Amino acid sequence: PVNAPVRQRKEKETFLIDFMSPEAEVTDDVVRPKKGTASINMPKKDWKSKSRNLLPDDKHFNSTQLKKLFLKPKAVLYATKSSK
Amino acid sequence: DAIATIFQSAQKTTAGHRKLAITMRSIWEQCAAGTGPLGASIGGGRVGEKAFVKEFTGFLNRVLMTKKSEVVGDRCLRFTDLFVRGLLDKGGEDEQMIEEEEAVEETSAIRFVLRFIFYLLPLISSREKTVRYRTTQLLSLLLANALPEFPYDYSTKSNAIFKQLRSELLKRIKDKEAPVRVQAVVGVIKLLEMGVGTDEGDSEDDDEEGDGNVLAVLIEAMQNDPSADVRRTILYHINPTSETLPYLLERTRDTDPATRRSVFTRLLPSLGDFRHLSIGMREKLLRWGLNDRDESVREAARRMFNYRWLEDVDGDVIEILERLDVTCDGPQGGVKELALRGFWEERKDFVEKITFGDEFWEDLTAESAFLARSYNDYCRDLPSAQREAGEIDEKMPEVTKLALHLQKYLNKLVVALEGEDAEAATWEFVAEQLLMIASRMDYGDEIGRRKMFALLRESLAIPELPEGVTKLIVECLAKLSMGEGDFCMLILEVIAEVHDRIADDDDEAGVADESFHSAKSDVSDDDDLEDSITVRAASVKATVKELMINLKCLHIAQCMLENVSGSLKKNTHLVTMLNGLVVPAVRSHEAPVRERGLRCLGLSCLLDKTLAEENLTLFAHCFNKGHEALQIEALHIMSDILVTHGSAIFEGDSCAVEQRTLYRMFAKALKLDEVVEVQATATEVICKLMLAQVIKDEEVLTSFCQLLKVLVIAYFDSATADNQSLRQILTYFLPVYCHSRPENQTRMQKITLNTIHQLLLIRENLGEEEEMVSITTTTSQMVDWTDPRKNVGGGVQAGRSGIGEKIVDPNVHVDLAIDTLERVSSSSCNKEEKKVLCAMLGKLYIPAEATPEKLRELYELVTQAIGDKVATDAPSRNALNKLELLLGKIVNELERDGVTEATGD
Repeated sequence: PVNAPVRQRKEKETFLIDFMSPEAEVTDDVVRPKKGTASINMPKKDWKSKSRNLLPDDKHFNSTQLKKLFLKPKAVLYATKSSK
Repeated sequence: DAIATIFQSAQKTTAGHRKLAITMRSIWEQCAAGTGPLGASIGGGRVGEKAFVKEFTGFLNRVLMTKKSEVVGDRCLRFTDLFVRGLLDKGGEDEQMIEEEEAVEETSAIRFVLRFIFYLLPLISSREKTVRYRTTQLLSLLLANALPEFPYDYSTKSNAIFKQLRSELLKRIKDKEAPVRVQAVVGVIKLLEMGVGTDEGDSEDDDEEGDGNVLAVLIEAMQNDPSADVRRTILYHINPTSETLPYLLERTRDTDPATRRSVFTRLLPSLGDFRHLSIGMREKLLRWGLNDRDESVREAARRMFNYRWLEDVDGDVIEILERLDVTCDGPQGGVKELALRGFWEERKDFVEKITFGDEFWEDLTAESAFLARSYNDYCRDLPSAQREAGEIDEKMPEVTKLALHLQKYLNKLVVALEGEDAEAATWEFVAEQLLMIASRMDYGDEIGRRKMFALLRESLAIPELPEGVTKLIVECLAKLSMGEGDFCMLILEVIAEVHDRIADDDDEAGVADESFHSAKSDVSDDDDLEDSITVRAASVKATVKELMINLKCLHIAQCMLENVSGSLKKNTHLVTMLNGLVVPAVRSHEAPVRERGLRCLGLSCLLDKTLAEENLTLFAHCFNKGHEALQIEALHIMSDILVTHGSAIFEGDSCAVEQRTLYRMFAKALKLDEVVEVQATATEVICKLMLAQVIKDEEVLTSFCQLLKVLVIAYFDSATADNQSLRQILTYFLPVYCHSRPENQTRMQKITLNTIHQLLLIRENLGEEEEMVSITTTTSQMVDWTDPRKNVGGGVQAGRSGIGEKIVDPNVHVDLAIDTLERVSSSSCNKEEKKVLCAMLGKLYIPAEATPEKLRELYELVTQAIGDKVATDAPSRNALNKLELLLGKIVNELERDGVTEATGD
């Protein structure tokens, strides 16, 4: 709740399915498959993911690495510099 | 009528569902029996049953048309599921029938279910996505709740319906809509659990949908589906078996954080005791989980270790460690160290109650030594106020005792090494842990300090000790010595001692060979030949020994140099060592000796500027001519030298390398696509030198800018797609570099146009298999890097007006826009490039605060570009017009202000 949205919640009109009136009837042909050109399937290119949706190997590169010497990792780089 | 009324109430709240289901059931019973207001009108029996299904589904259609976001639809479907469950429960006697393997009596409830599913079948592939969603949702609900026990195979007809259901749902695993796929996979998994399609004979006529294949389809979807919801749903529902588990656990590295987290929070708890997993798997779970980029995943992994695993072993942390491979990541322990650190932080109860008695130290194992070391490190890292409460000094043995323990395990190690015992690795690890503890002890007690010092001094001279142990011993000695002078003198004494061993062993070897010779000579026919062979063997043996000793001496010297930071010239011991040991090694004909010598020379160069100047050429040569590992080493050394001494080194009298030459070499290294590690190292080196502002002098600005350009191109180039180290370093570096200093940002701005041009050329020549991020992504990244609003104004400007309050240089994007328009208007700019550049213009930040002359120039350029009809497509024209409009306003305002100022005078 640190940055809870302050926006007012819009009073959503409660939607109800009309079961009572006969006009609201949905006939079987509406719900059944009709012939159409549009595919209901996923495009083929999405069937395979090259990475198998896995993260690349994380090298955990971080800023401390840039502050260290390669040969003397225990010595802090900028401290060495300022002492000169 | 009655059914409508029931649905009408069912959609409002789930509270009355139970009651409503009973009412619905009585209507159904009436239909079947031909009684009641509805039943009587249609007549009972099968006709009545059919009539009910027709009525029921008629109303259900309205639900199936209800959008996914409407909760009323969900309620109605849940109600339907409850109703069906009720029907089947009523005929509870059916279950006994199944047990007996007798033919199941076909009840009216069963007939209802079959008719109902038969009705739903075609709807699964409806053109309406809402219908497909609601139908699959309903089916997955039914299969999960009402139907798991359903005797689907009691008749051929029933079997056929369920097989068709499976087939339809399987197709929906490839649905266009992710929510449909989510529901479909649940349905398919439930059918798989019911065993639909597994009976003999089935697999023959319909091989494609055999049982194993269904599982394969699900696993494939879990790996490949673009929607994380689908992948996660499969992860939740699929039964973990030895066959599926590797795939399930693989999701620990899913691109979606919620999926990764749910492996830890849902899958693993459901598997029970962690000891059922393989050691490799436990290690991987920790490594991936605790190092995850997302804090919530790390937290879930910590909870797994700190609570669930701990409970599995009844609170015995050492047992958890025994169930891992503590020694496999070197003395630091890799992820095990991270796991334990999290453990101490979270489980303060263990921090308090843990004790290490005398018997603990008497009988150390790799695991217990590691635990003690980790505990010691944790406590000593605490802020002093908290540390006192932890009483670490009381829990750890006093220094004298610690030295005795260390001695004991070092002895064990030496004995094991002599006997070529497999236990040596364990004792090496234990000794390393003890040395790490020793290096952080409080040495206020002089007797203890002397005892430890003597032990370390003596041990260091044992040439057989493994390098890891030697390194830690030298570190401890550096801490215990009185100043660097004393420390170096001590180490040199030890090196001399070790070196003398060569002479000793030469004598020994001679004696051994003699006896060998005399034993052999009796049986030998040709004395002379035999003689020459043994002599050669002896000399080979002696050479190997000499090599080993030499390497050992150099290693000790290297460890020493790593712990020294004072001036080389002022330390006579270091000068002696350099001339007596390091320089001859660098000239050695033995590659290992030479390479170790180079490392020592590199370390020495960090201590003396002149020495560094003199040897830079040598390291550059190593890079140009060396093998991969040597190239990396040379890059490391040169980087450290430059960082330590700065670019002033190039002005030194002894420096024979030009700055430009060196940078050209770095740039060359960045293009070594086929040697990824060298390429990544070069990237890291350049980034480091740029951030440290070592490379910034104006006279090399052109070559410098080139280097930055090489970096940016390498970042986007498809050729580096597999070099994750390079990519990840640059992901970090580029924004940090550009946004930390205005002058860096200006440099980026200056190379932007040329870089985009080159990247477009690379794209044109892209092979089929090669992939590159879109040029739109590329340009928007470059726009972001050059955005002056993002500059935190580091360097000189920082602090004067407060970081971030004021834009340090409002001109960056204005300059970029000028460059862009000049490029767009040039004849060498092709259509594609124009389009890309015009699109980029629209994203630039052009503030009225920029320099008036620049704004006027830009205004002229854009007006002219429009006049010359430079843009050929609508979006580009719009971008130019928009810019003109904006600048028109700004420039007008400038003129007006100018006029007011003039008249005001």
